[in-house]
Amino acid sequence: LLKVTQMMEWASKRSVIRMNGDKFRRFVKAPPRNYSVLIMFTALQPQRQCGVCRQADEEFQVLANSWRYSSAFTNKVFFASVDFDEGSDVFQMLNMNSAPTFLHFPSKGKPRKSDTYELQVRGFAAEQLARWVADRTDVQIRIIRPPNYAGPLLLGFLLAAIGGLAYLRRHNLEFLFNKSVWAFSALCFVLIMTSGQMWNHIRGPPYAHKNPSTGQVSYIHGSSQAQFVAETHIVLLFNAAVTMGMVLLCEAATSDMDIGKRKIMCVAGIGLVMLFFSWLLSIFRAKYHGYPYR
Amino acid sequence: MKSSPNKGVLLQYWLSGALGGWGGTSDGKHKASTNAGGSVHGNSRPGAAGGGGGKVGLSGGLTQPAGWQSLLSFSILFLACLAGFSSRLFAVIRFESIIHEFDPWFNYRSTHHLTTNGFYEFLNWFDERAWYPLGRIVGGTVYPGLMVTAGLIHYVLNLLHITVHIRDVCVFLAPVFSGLTAISTFLLTRELWNQGAGLLAACFIAIVPGYISRSVAGSFDNEGIAIFALQFTYYLWVKSVKTGSVFWTIGCCLSYFYMVSAWGGYVFIINLIPLHVFVLLLMQRYSRRVYIAYSTFYIVGLVLSMQIPFVGFQPIRTSEHMAAAGVFALLQAYAFLQYLKDRLTRQEFQTLFFLGVSLAAGMVFLTVIYLTYTGLYVRLLTCYAKIHIPIIASVSEHQPTTWVSFFFDLHILVCTFPAGLWFCIKNINDERVFVALYAISAVYFAGVMVRLMLTLTPVVCMLSAVAFSSVFEHYMGDDTKREKPPEKAEEGLGPNIKSIVTMLMLMLLMMFAVHCTWVTSNAYSSPSVVLASYNHDGTRNILDDFREAYYWLRQNTDEHARVMSWWDYGYQIAGMANRTTLVDNNTWNNSHIALVGKAMSSNESAAYQIMRSLDVDYVLIIFGGVIGYSGDDINKFLWMVRIAEGEHPKDIRESDYFTPQGEFRVDKAGSPTLLNCLMYKMSYYRFGEMQVRRGALTPPGFDRTRNAEIGNKDIKFKHLEEAFTSEHWLVRIYKVKKLDNREPLDHKLRSVVPKQKYTSKKVPLMLGGEFALQVWRDSFRFS
Repeated sequence: LLKVTQMMEWASKRSVIRMNGDKFRRFVKAPPRNYSVLIMFTALQPQRQCGVCRQADEEFQVLANSWRYSSAFTNKVFFASVDFDEGSDVFQMLNMNSAPTFLHFPSKGKPRKSDTYELQVRGFAAEQLARWVADRTDVQIRIIRPPNYAGPLLLGFLLAAIGGLAYLRRHNLEFLFNKSVWAFSALCFVLIMTSGQMWNHIRGPPYAHKNPSTGQVSYIHGSSQAQFVAETHIVLLFNAAVTMGMVLLCEAATSDMDIGKRKIMCVAGIGLVMLFFSWLLSIFRAKYHGYPYR
Repeated sequence: MKSSPNKGVLLQYWLSGALGGWGGTSDGKHKASTNAGGSVHGNSRPGAAGGGGGKVGLSGGLTQPAGWQSLLSFSILFLACLAGFSSRLFAVIRFESIIHEFDPWFNYRSTHHLTTNGFYEFLNWFDERAWYPLGRIVGGTVYPGLMVTAGLIHYVLNLLHITVHIRDVCVFLAPVFSGLTAISTFLLTRELWNQGAGLLAACFIAIVPGYISRSVAGSFDNEGIAIFALQFTYYLWVKSVKTGSVFWTIGCCLSYFYMVSAWGGYVFIINLIPLHVFVLLLMQRYSRRVYIAYSTFYIVGLVLSMQIPFVGFQPIRTSEHMAAAGVFALLQAYAFLQYLKDRLTRQEFQTLFFLGVSLAAGMVFLTVIYLTYTGLYVRLLTCYAKIHIPIIASVSEHQPTTWVSFFFDLHILVCTFPAGLWFCIKNINDERVFVALYAISAVYFAGVMVRLMLTLTPVVCMLSAVAFSSVFEHYMGDDTKREKPPEKAEEGLGPNIKSIVTMLMLMLLMMFAVHCTWVTSNAYSSPSVVLASYNHDGTRNILDDFREAYYWLRQNTDEHARVMSWWDYGYQIAGMANRTTLVDNNTWNNSHIALVGKAMSSNESAAYQIMRSLDVDYVLIIFGGVIGYSGDDINKFLWMVRIAEGEHPKDIRESDYFTPQGEFRVDKAGSPTLLNCLMYKMSYYRFGEMQVRRGALTPPGFDRTRNAEIGNKDIKFKHLEEAFTSEHWLVRIYKVKKLDNREPLDHKLRSVVPKQKYTSKKVPLMLGGEFALQVWRDSFRFS
């Protein structure tokens, strides 16, 4: 009972209780205990370079906070975490060699197989974790994500900046009618979309792939169903180059500069178009197997 | 800027003619290599017609430039339509005139219903053969434009005593409408830029894969006619903004009405046109023409769109339509202020007042737009993809778009259309504002969802045409330099550079045409009802298992038999086998689908309970293990499990179907739950005895799709029996047995005959009563 009050005190301070080897043995491992504990074993120290751990940690915090501030909060369930660098003995004791791992220590009896969360299968989204928790402990947790203020804040800041700029230059609003600015921003948007940045945003692929055995970095994904972030940047650049080539070709024919400059512009334009388009085509061909042309 | 517009435009026609004709001939060549009969109208006619048109045009052009211009543009447009039509015929020539895929089968079935029973019967149609036992109100839940169009064409043709079957009308509807799309794209681009760009745009849209993907012959779907309606509505809108005449606006409304009746994508129009008006107001390009056009369009379009039963009162209720209403109010307020401004004197005060009001209104509009788009699209798509609402995520069309799909569907156009956008914004006017907004919004939606590539394609064709046209205009125009001696010193990049640029550009366009033909032929011309496989020597095997099985069902089962299958095949069973289905591609009832998924993923006895409660007579599954067909039910199986788990989390768990290592395996290492579930057993029943011959020796029961020897070869059924398996095992049908006779009790019957003399009289009476109750209960349960 002392242990419960101690745990409650910790839990009221922070929703995920940080544990080291000692605490773990006393509050989790030692038998008389009438609460269940959900523990995330992780490695958050920067030198461990565990990107997944950080994401999993965020989701776990969301879960624990949803539980901590929900009306159904009781002292039956606690959330805790053990960092590898603080409690490596715990890792050895449980014979664990991968992080992050989620374990459930039930209030009665030993942890069984299903008390280990299947991270590979179910992912570490807080909703999935909540379902698992509900499954193991009969505690329903409604996930409440803290609203993301960054987006509206950024938008507000942008609007304020634009408004401020307009106010400062209120006597000369010509710049609002500058077609090049508008055309340029429209072009940027279009290029961002056609190079598949939306896919990146939704799927979150890695920037590039490093082959662990040879150490070679490949920027182009081998399949036509997926892509790396680096690859989309390359494609964006190529598309932009082709577009610029087309514009240059037109400028060369219509502007009133002297003839030498215009000739250079023209040659540069057609060069850009041909070079980057065929380059793009060759990348496409590498990805789309069985494409017969060039 | 344009030194010799006449000549430039003319040469450009020649070029487009070459392009159109070349597109046509390349189609012909491909067809000739695949099918000798197909080359007749692909190869010879476009070339001949092109040459003929050119000659006539040349001789007439010496005397009357305008005359031969229109003749030439007409013939180019005609060739573009022809090329577009013929390149959509790959599937018909390779296979036969057949309806493709899944949704078209439903459209075909309802069109059939329409033509046999009449329009009003169609509107009131309650289909009791779908979603057994719920049924479906078809008349009120479809966009009827497609069926009515096909029915009308069929009616007119029969009136003229051209007796064609409704199926042929349905098959060739989309290619015919692609020709109309080319024409309306030409009209729209001509309004936006010039005639030359219009012709190029028509040629592009005729052969671009992004549009062909939805409009090959046999794909009888809403999108095929909707793109025409979309482009034509936009043309009429631009025309009415330009002229400010009510005549064009009413035309625009009628076209919009057709679009609403044809496709749910009309929401795109009803948001884009208000956006255009709003941006015009912001740019202070307000004019009386805009006022007339939009006020008329909004009111008449609103009333017309509410006439479609499926749309009903949505236009005044849902958030997607609120932006249009907001802009309507804003426009009225703006016009009123303008009116006041003319009357009142205090100009300063007026402008300030106007500024405040417009800002407030703009904020309201922006919030509405924000709510609309974030609410509708971003939340619907991005979050759904993340949280895996299974039934949405399981449809491959709802995925975001990679750059490869953009390039695959648009090729050179995707790189050049930003240039066209640049030119449009640099030389802005009212209608170019429209096309810029169209491009930006369409490209956003195409990025979010692969399926919406379709709405992007027309605008990409138009803007690319603008880019290419402005290059050709400058580089093909003056290579002979006859007409302008005065500015000779200034002009002149030199004929060499010009001709090189022209040649290279032409080469790019040729590559585009080749790419389009290849993509159409290889990726978008498979009916998916009939499969084809190629041997090493290039000969073709036709696998007609689907139709074989569906006709078996049609001929050998009771007319009211209920067939259970996964929802993908619901429309096909209804269309081809004419049998009652439980679930189909109109996925309106998730829990019903989940019930079917649960039956498929439970073990046999649990599944039998579900199937009994749903009155299932037959179960149909698709199995590709013999021929290596990857789109079969075992590969879709996890979706069934997920959807079932969403509704029945206590009974079905996805993790049970994985090995402890988290793999999905069908061999011996697979999870026992998987190896004993109904779907597995039905797929692999008797498969363990089968030796699939395949070069090297493989063990019996070797699944070619998943490259594994199956784990459970000894499969016995208790409540099901195999009814039919098609030639390549692609479709397997099982009959659900009726209940057995009651099983003999494992303990001995209590002897009712009283041996004991000492029992009281009440006991046999009680026994009898209990027995009667039992019998009554049984008969009640299973009657």
